[in-house]
This record gives sequence, C-alpha cells and structure tokens, in this order.
Amino acid sequence: MAEPNTATANDDPHGIRQDVDNPATLILVFVVLIGLALANIGISGAMGPTKLTLPLQLAIASVQAGLVAYYFMHLRQGDKVVILTALSSLFWMGILFVLFLADYLTRHMVVG
Amino acid sequence: MSIAIEPQGPIAAPPPPEPDPVPVNYLNNGYSIWSWLFTVDHKRIGILYLVSISVFFLAGGIAAGIVRLNLLQPDGAIVTEDAYNRAFTAHGVMMLFFFLIPAVPAVFGNFFIPMMIGAKDLAFPKLNLASWYVFMLGAILAIWSVLAGGIDTGWTLYPPYSTRASQSHVIPGVVGVFISGFSSIMTGLNIMVTIHKMRAPGMTWGRLPLFVWALYATSLIQLLATPVVAITLLLIVVERMMGIGIFDPTIGGDPILFQHMFWFYSHPAVYIMILPGMGVISEVLTCFSRKNIFGYHAVAWSSVGIAVVGFLLWAHHMFVAGISFYAALLFSLLSMLVAVPSAIKVFNWTATLYRGSITFHAPMLFALGFVVLFIIGGLTGLFLATLGTDIHLHDTYFVVAHFHFVMVGGMVMGYFAGLHYWWPKMTGRMYSDWWSRLAAIIIIVGFFLTFIPQFYIGYHGMPRRYPNYPHEFQIFNVMSTAGASILGIGYLMPVVYLTLSLFYGKKASANPWSATGLEWQCPSPPSVHNFEKTPVVVCGPYEYAIGVDQMGRGLPEPPGVDDNPARRSGITGPAGPMNKETEVVG
Amino acid sequence: MSASTHSSVLKHHFEDLGQQHACERLGMWMFLATEILFFGGLFGAYAMYRIWYPHEFELASSHLNRTLATINTIFLITSSLTMTLAIRSAKLGQRGALIGNLLITVALATAFMVVKGFEYAEDFHEQLVPGPGFGTHYHQEAISKGLDPAKIQLFLCFYYVMTGIHGIHILVGIGCILWLAWEAWRGTIPPENYSTVEVVSLYWHLVDAIWLFLMPLLYLAGAGMKH
Repeated sequence: MAEPNTATANDDPHGIRQDVDNPATLILVFVVLIGLALANIGISGAMGPTKLTLPLQLAIASVQAGLVAYYFMHLRQGDKVVILTALSSLFWMGILFVLFLADYLTRHMVVG
Repeated sequence: MSIAIEPQGPIAAPPPPEPDPVPVNYLNNGYSIWSWLFTVDHKRIGILYLVSISVFFLAGGIAAGIVRLNLLQPDGAIVTEDAYNRAFTAHGVMMLFFFLIPAVPAVFGNFFIPMMIGAKDLAFPKLNLASWYVFMLGAILAIWSVLAGGIDTGWTLYPPYSTRASQSHVIPGVVGVFISGFSSIMTGLNIMVTIHKMRAPGMTWGRLPLFVWALYATSLIQLLATPVVAITLLLIVVERMMGIGIFDPTIGGDPILFQHMFWFYSHPAVYIMILPGMGVISEVLTCFSRKNIFGYHAVAWSSVGIAVVGFLLWAHHMFVAGISFYAALLFSLLSMLVAVPSAIKVFNWTATLYRGSITFHAPMLFALGFVVLFIIGGLTGLFLATLGTDIHLHDTYFVVAHFHFVMVGGMVMGYFAGLHYWWPKMTGRMYSDWWSRLAAIIIIVGFFLTFIPQFYIGYHGMPRRYPNYPHEFQIFNVMSTAGASILGIGYLMPVVYLTLSLFYGKKASANPWSATGLEWQCPSPPSVHNFEKTPVVVCGPYEYAIGVDQMGRGLPEPPGVDDNPARRSGITGPAGPMNKETEVVG
Repeated sequence: MSASTHSSVLKHHFEDLGQQHACERLGMWMFLATEILFFGGLFGAYAMYRIWYPHEFELASSHLNRTLATINTIFLITSSLTMTLAIRSAKLGQRGALIGNLLITVALATAFMVVKGFEYAEDFHEQLVPGPGFGTHYHQEAISKGLDPAKIQLFLCFYYVMTGIHGIHILVGIGCILWLAWEAWRGTIPPENYSTVEVVSLYWHLVDAIWLFLMPLLYLAGAGMKH
C-alpha cells in the first residue's frame, strides 16, 4: 500500500511535508479542549449529581476525545485501515458494555 | 540442488558449476547461539517458538499424565487431593497459555505469513523477537510457580477462592500469564499489520491463502480480547496482594464480574486456538485432494465471522454461576450463532474432498482427523450452549470431553497437520513417510479411546476436577487412561522421527507436496530474505486443477497414492502437468 | 530489493518509506486499540458498579481533590499540544524545536505525576483508602446518609487502580519521550524518520484521552455535593 511519491520538490522527496499541521489549528483545538474541560467541571459542580449529570459529562469527554483523535492523532489524514482500527476498538468495547449490561440490568429480576 | 526461483533477467556472469552444494539459507546463516538469540529473522523466531512450545507441551502432557493416572482408582491412585488440584491446574495453564495460544500463530504464523504473502519479513522484526522473550519470561514465571508448589485454583482462577482462600502460588502464576499475554498481542499485531501492508504485488485479499485469512481473524481476537484478560488478571493480583479489590464481596464487589471479564477473553481465546488450525486444514485438504477449495469466500469470511461472533457468547460458561436468567437466555441463543460459520467451514472442506484426487500422507491424515473430531466436538458444543441441557451437563466430564475434542482433536491435530505439511520447508528434510502415517493413526485411535468414555461418564454425572468418583465409573476412567497412554505414545513418535529426519532424512525439494502457495516457491529451507525478488502474484491460492502456483508457473508432479515423497526429485520448474504457462488470471 | 534513492532510515524489509511509515502508524494504532480494550475492561467494571451503587460512588467521589485534578487536566492537554507540535518540528527538520517541544512535554508530564503524588499523599493522610485504613469518619458519614460504607471502599478501589494504571502509562510515556529527545539530540530523527515521533505521540494522546474520561468518572461524579 505504498503511496506514490507525488512531491516533486527536491527538498521533500518523500512527501513528508505535505501533511504538516497548521499551528493555528492546533492551538485553536487546544483552546477548545481546555474550555470543554473547564466547562465540564463547572457544569458538574453547578448541577450536582442528577440523572443527567453523567451522560452530559461523558458527552463532553467524548467530544474532547474525538477532537484529540481527529486533530492531534491525525485521524484527519489517517488511511482507512487506521480509522477502521480506531472504530473497531470502540465497537468491541461496545460489545463488552452491552452484554455486561444484559446481565447486570436484569440480574435482580424475578423469573416468573 | 538448485534454487527454486530462477532469475528472470539475463544472468550477469556464468556461475561456477555448483562449487558450494548448500546455498545460504536461514539455518546455515550463522551457527552461534547468539545468532539465534538475537535473530530478527521471522523464520528463526518461529523455530525458537517451536522449540519452546514443544517443551511446554511436554510439561503440560506430564501434568495430564498425573491427572489420568490418579483417576485410575476411585479414591485417587497416586497423589493427594491437593496435589491433584495442582496437577490439573498446571495442565490447564501450560496447555492453554503456553502451548495452544502460541502454537500455530507464533510458530507457523511467524514462519509462513511473510512467505505466503510474498514479504521479506514481518512488519516489526524486533517486536517479533521481543514477543519471544516476553513469552519466555511469562512462561518461566508460570513454570516456577508450578515447580515451587503449584496453583490449585484451576486455570480459570475464579475469585474469591483465588484472591482469598487459596494457599498456593497464585501471584507468580497469574503474573506469568499476564506477561505472556503481551507476547500474544505482539504476535497478533505484527501479523495483522503485515497482512495489511506488506502483501506482494497482485496478492489481493481475494488471493490470500486461507491460512492467512484464518491468522488475520486470530490476530483480531488476540488484539481485542487479550487486553481485557490482562486487566482482569492485574485486578486479581492487586486484590490478592492488597487484601481488598473490586471482586471482593465483602465491600459489595461481584465475583461474577470476574467471570464476565475473564470469559470475555477466554471464550474468544478458544477461537484463537482453533482458527489457525482451521487455516492449516484449508491448506492441507486442498493440496492433498488436488482441488481448489470449495467456496473460497465462504471459508475466508467464516473465519472473520467466527472471530466476531466469538465475542458475543462468553457467558455460556456461566449459566449456573448466578447470572441473570434473561442474560442466560440471550447468551444461549447467541452461542448457537457460532455454529453457523463453523458449519460453513466443515461443509466446504467436505465439498472440497468430493471427487478430489486424495492421497493419504501424514498431513492429510491429521487434517481428516481434525475434520471428524472437530465435527464431534462442535456438535457436542451445541448441547452445552443449550441452556436447559447445560444445567445438567455443566462442570461434568461431558464438558471436558467436548473441549478436548475441539482443542486437542481440533487444534492439536491442526498443529500436527501443519507441522508435517511444512516440516520439509522449515528444515529442508523429509521425515519418514511410514512412521508419520502410523503416528497419525495412533493419535486418532488413542484420542477416541481417551475422550469418548468421558462423554458417557459426564452425561451420567461425573463432575470435572474431582479426584474421587463412584466405583461405577472406574471402568470408563481406566479406558480413558489407557487411551491417554496411547495418545502419549502417539505424540512422542513425531518427536523421534522428526528429530531423526534432521540428521538422516532425505533432502526435501522446494515443493515436495506440489503445493501452490508462495511459500513453496522459496528453496527448502528458505533463504534469508525468502525471495530473491519480490514475487508477482497472478492467480488465486489453490489452482490445483489448472496445475499452476500463485505466480502462474507449473507445478511439479504431485506425490502419488503409494509414492513416498522422500524419493522424488521434484524440482519446481516451469513445466507442470498441463504444460501450461502463465496465462492465468484469478 | 530496490536500493534506490532512499535514505538509511528505510529498514531492509520494506519497499519504501511510505510503506514503512504506514506500517508503523497502523501498528501503533492497533496497540492503542488494545489499550482501549485494556481500560475498557476497567470502565466496564466501573459502569456495572456505578449502576448498582450510584449514591455511594457519588459520595465517595465528592471527597477527592478536584482542584488538583483540574490542574492535572490542564497539564495533560497542554502536553498533548506540545507533543503534536513536536511532530511538526520533526517533519520540518527543526531539530532544536523538536527537542524543545519534547522536553516541554516531559516537563508537563512530570508535573502531572508530582501533583498526583501530592494528591495521593493527601488521600492517605485523610484515610481515604479502602481496607483496614479506611477512615471512620467516612464510615459514619455514609451511615448517616443511609448508604453502605463498604461500597465507598469499592469506589476507592477503582480510584486507586484506575489512576495508578494511568500513572504507570504516564511514566512509560515520559520514558519514551525522553528517549525520543535523546535520539533527536543525536540527530537520528531526520524528517524521513518523523513517524517515530508520531508513533510515540499517538500513545501520548491516548493516555491524555483516557484521562479525559477518568476525570468525570472519578472526580466529577460527586461534584457539587454538599457534605
């Protein structure tokens, strides 16, 4: 699956500089990440433990993790197999959660 | 002998007429101990694994011998109850973690995946070597724990017994298994990346040998399941060391949660064990029936199907453990699902045999043994997946017989089929045809005698892991032990004739079985970088009917029914039985 | 083998640098998938107990030090930024900037561990530990709220195991990044070898991402709770 060397410039024979990050983008993502982290802490403190707190916290954390994966971990430029790998790890964790829940949510139900 | 791959281009200088009769290959390229211990050659690492797992197979076999001998008498023939517990735990831990899991992926996967897809090596050679060291470190810890007094929990290590009550060496054993898990992950990762990124030109997914597909599916499980058992074992170690942990019922912990997490790995792990065996069988059956595989895509995708579905049914090990009734129903239903891809494989293998031109050399005998024993093992698995019958059969010898039919009758047969199939390629020597066929027959006979009685006594209620049993069961246990002795002799025979073949065996040609895969296009034994130049693949993996290999070149004459392959000169050349040149598009 | 234009960075068994970089990146991602499942097992166990004992977990969580955790979150996110900038420096061949970014990352990671150490010390001092050392005042507080103090200890088991394993990952990351800085200083990371930096950075970002989930699950579960 070798990518052809499309760069013709002599100083970049392997096309390495084609995908150099823009620092402005990175810093913007960084600011958003910090903002979301502080928002998560602030909102949690203001809400206190309610039924909605945990889903909201996890939603914010998921957005953060998604930003990290997409921009910092370069899923943005990743090839398909890399994306498939990332998604399959989540899928298999989903299997674990769903089938665990199948037991734990019904453990104390009475058969009858 | 000449090198298999003739240089295609013009020969630069006329070579002197064979001054050196032995070309450089991976075996004679350095003889020092360091050239083996620091090698990054996937073939040498495969041999390192082969030697190591053979030792662990022997050790696990000795533990099994103690168990079987002790069961000769209803009140225990040779060891105390406590020693009996330690013996069957040692048997389980050694055989599962240090033989079955690494057997085919780490030996034949390491050795043949790069050759089958036309690569020079695995993607990460140093990681590959590291995996062997990690494996040995884990194995040494586990063996030390056995020799220092053993573990008495059973290989499943259920808490709270393993975390509180057991007085045996749980921690070193568990740490050993934990460490060896990393080796499994490293091997799986290496193979998976290699299959994705290192295939030769023309080696599309639809032209991959089915062994490669099977190893791909295996690696998927190794990557995604092993980490879960790693964290689980770590939690057990922490709980045992600290005296408190998340499985501790006194603080509201749920010991069944351990079983969930443990079986999330350990059920898919049985597919880590059986899938590579299935891959070997697909190679051997096609080669020795001289036919293309029936339903290539069905067999390939059923491997992936088993890998995925295999994750959905772990809790059928826990039907009587106290899980929710509804979850038990769900898992019973899901367990039936895995019968579908398994059956697809068996039907396709059988259809491959139909009207094939079959020869019964040792690899084929082992492969046919695999198919028969796997059918029995698989079908009895359905009894156990059914919720109602499982309540009767759970933790009886029926279960023991079932999984030995799949693991030993399936996987170990597949391992021996692969060993006999690829031995000429790995060592460059032919083993004794007669002795190898005899060994295959002895192993199959011994196997039946060992495990068929266990179905019977299990059905009639003899629980597993008990050292004592009612007198009525003695005759069956004696039969089983007698069968195990035959089985033991059968397993020792290959050790003898394969070792002898290294010194006295006839030199193997590059392609003694007249097989189509790319690995047979390298000389026997292979040169250091496998291929002189990167091969170009032009057709599918099993074009036996046309008589061409994957590079579109003709095959040598296949070994006949009464033909001893050791007597054949068998040089791979451009002219096959049909004198057909490369006009094949797959 | 094509001994063409390629530099000494190319390993012998690869056809070209594109293949080598793709293999390294994919290999690291597959390792990250195993890491996700590794922590996934812990998260799964946590989720089941949280469903069973929600109020005990919230009460236990409310005693953790959220201020230190917030500081640590900022450290880790910042270190992810500098790590990504290090890849950029490597690709552009800016050796000084590469070493600088790597060392800043190491400094932030070390700061994280130091803060973590102070936090553990405080927890031990306040007897916020499971087992025999469990503080009686937490015991009585749980009972006064009609909750089971044993399950407070269950939460604490998760707290120590999860942050402990995460901390071990941080230490491994510090080691890897220091090694990278050493290699960069020796000059063995030319632009063609940028993928070495990228591979370590992938690991580092995962450790960061795991923390982003540990934060709400452990520290924020009981946020805003009155004692």
